Amino acid sequence: MKKLYSNKLVITSLVLPGLLVFVFAILAPICLSVYYGFTDYSGMGKATFIGIENYRALMQDKTFWKSLWHSVLLAIGFICIQHPLAMIVAAVLDKLQGKAEGFFRCVYFIPNVISVAVIAYLWKFIYNPDFGLLNNVLKAFGYTGKINWFDSKIAIWSVLIVLIWHGFGWGMLIYYTGIKNIDPVLYEAAAIDGANQKQIFLKVTLPQMKSVIQVNVTMAIISALKQMETVYLLTNGGPGDSTQFTANYLYQQAFKAFKYGYGNAISVVFIIICILITVLLNTIFADRDKR
Amino acid sequence: MKKKALSAMLAAAMAATSVLGSVAVVNAEEEVTLKLFSNLPDRKNGQGLVEQMIIDEYMAENPNVKIEVEALDEEAYKTKFKAYAMDGMPDVVSIWGQPAFLDEVLEAGVLAELNEADYADYAFVEGSLEGFKKDDKLYGLPRNTDIAVIYYNQKMFEDNGWEIPATYDDLLTLAGTIRESDIIPMAMDGGDGWPMAVYLSDLVNKINGSTKDLFAEAIANGDFTADPFKQATDLMRQSVEAGLFQDGYDSQDYGTAMNLFTNGQAAMFYMGSWEASMALNEDIPEEIRTNIRVFTMPVVDGGQGGANDIAAWNGGGYAVSATSEVQEEAVKFLNYMYQPDKLSKYGWENGVGLSAQDQTAYMTGEETELQKQIVEIATGATSLSGTPVNDCGPSAFKTCIESEIQNVTNGTSTVDDFLATIGKACQ
Repeated sequence: MKKLYSNKLVITSLVLPGLLVFVFAILAPICLSVYYGFTDYSGMGKATFIGIENYRALMQDKTFWKSLWHSVLLAIGFICIQHPLAMIVAAVLDKLQGKAEGFFRCVYFIPNVISVAVIAYLWKFIYNPDFGLLNNVLKAFGYTGKINWFDSKIAIWSVLIVLIWHGFGWGMLIYYTGIKNIDPVLYEAAAIDGANQKQIFLKVTLPQMKSVIQVNVTMAIISALKQMETVYLLTNGGPGDSTQFTANYLYQQAFKAFKYGYGNAISVVFIIICILITVLLNTIFADRDKR
Repeated sequence: MKKKALSAMLAAAMAATSVLGSVAVVNAEEEVTLKLFSNLPDRKNGQGLVEQMIIDEYMAENPNVKIEVEALDEEAYKTKFKAYAMDGMPDVVSIWGQPAFLDEVLEAGVLAELNEADYADYAFVEGSLEGFKKDDKLYGLPRNTDIAVIYYNQKMFEDNGWEIPATYDDLLTLAGTIRESDIIPMAMDGGDGWPMAVYLSDLVNKINGSTKDLFAEAIANGDFTADPFKQATDLMRQSVEAGLFQDGYDSQDYGTAMNLFTNGQAAMFYMGSWEASMALNEDIPEEIRTNIRVFTMPVVDGGQGGANDIAAWNGGGYAVSATSEVQEEAVKFLNYMYQPDKLSKYGWENGVGLSAQDQTAYMTGEETELQKQIVEIATGATSLSGTPVNDCGPSAFKTCIESEIQNVTNGTSTVDDFLATIGKACQ
């Protein structure tokens, strides 16, 4: 066996498929993106080199910065609203035990197994000012006005609610798995020491979940940055650019406005931002680990 | 011996001839697969049904030809069209004879040139081929003559004593009256942006009396500060303030807007004449579908456009891929579709609005009232506006105006900011 693994041909045959996938599915497209980012390519015909013109335009593009801000806002929403709630629900589920535990675990995860298209249309109907569920519920409570939930002033919050709700199941499931892996002896020891439920959660559950939180937060931020399909189907960034997100804006510029070069410039800046955030997160978590 | 050799040679020649002959027969009936990429996903109603009927007929008449259809709705279609343009186009494709779509496509050379002389007897309406040409060469054929109209529920109007508005001010007053009855005055697909851009063009036409030169000049100079643009945008803003459109119009899509009208929640619906097939659509309650009528944009006080200066253009159509391996068959199929007794006739019989070809031969007198009204509007028109403003410029301009028009109508941006922004998008 040892001899087999020292055979260069065997090593090459094992490494090569992965390497080829990396080169052709990741590295080459990124390099092409960088190249097209310096051109005025429309997606068809010839591409002309225009230097940093796309990047210069991007720096002054208000919609791009607005869409980036919305992505950041979503990441904040994930971390500050979705994840604390998901963690609490996971802890409560863990305490429920029995059939109820399984039932609620499934219920909370249902939005994740429904197609994004269905989710988007479902919420479109819920939010509809004329026949939507929300306004009808308000009407039942005596509110006579009609709220336009996609009014440009509040539309971003309506979209954030959908996105936070939709991703809740994943976050909850990962936290739930994390909690299940905590050694029950720790809980028994805490109980013997007279700790109440709040203290057990803060002093036992939370510290034991550190690595799970790290993974979940990193995944949440990445998913917020690359948010596209739900927004595309729900509002397509509108009205105007009030619910625009970076990935959706990139798509619109590249494939609707026929500004493929500009779209690639956005994607390059986007990749750099994603790398910077990942490095920053790793640094923060690494520092905490050292302490 | 010589005789034997000669007989053998003759037999060999005969055998060779018969083999070659049979090969020729096989070749004549060689299976051909045509790929049709269409923007008409509904194959059971309207234009999609007409397209499918012709495909089925063509395959029945040419058993060796198989036509595979890939149909997506407009937005998805345009996106995939671009992907196909990079990596090999299907043989026959839907296109739009408007600069916003066609300029880049022709620049990339993905469409095959058609011989205009072949269509001399196809009864195309005068000028309808112009949008499909570049440097006097023809690259596609128009399917429809589209007219922007306001569909209304005649019964609802009569029951409530509402009158068809003669002027735009009357329309805004009517909007207030209809609102009092807890009914939406006009359903608008504002989420997509383009119907509002058509609405804006319609208003500019009523204010200026024409649009072609005005739009061409504004786009060429990136300057939309001319008074008709300002006035029309102001009127759109006023319309929203007057409650003409449904709440949240700027985030609602085509289907939602149409449903508001077809299920009786809205009294009017602003859309193109291609939706005339609503009158025959049995999914729509009978009481509503038999009472759908149309009128065109009312005149604007002080405007130069009269009641018969209408917003109309030749939009969608078909073309053949320049890289098609079965280009000859594809052109043959295209020509078959456009034979006057096919697309034009079937379209008329199925109430899908006006064709880009002369349809008078197919009028039976049994058309729906809606069809008759649309024909009256077309035949009574004193001028046609031409392509709406959003389709007159490059794609970047189209994307910009269709997004910015939501901002200006809902009050997020001012009229001046809107006009400056769309002007910048042309540069």
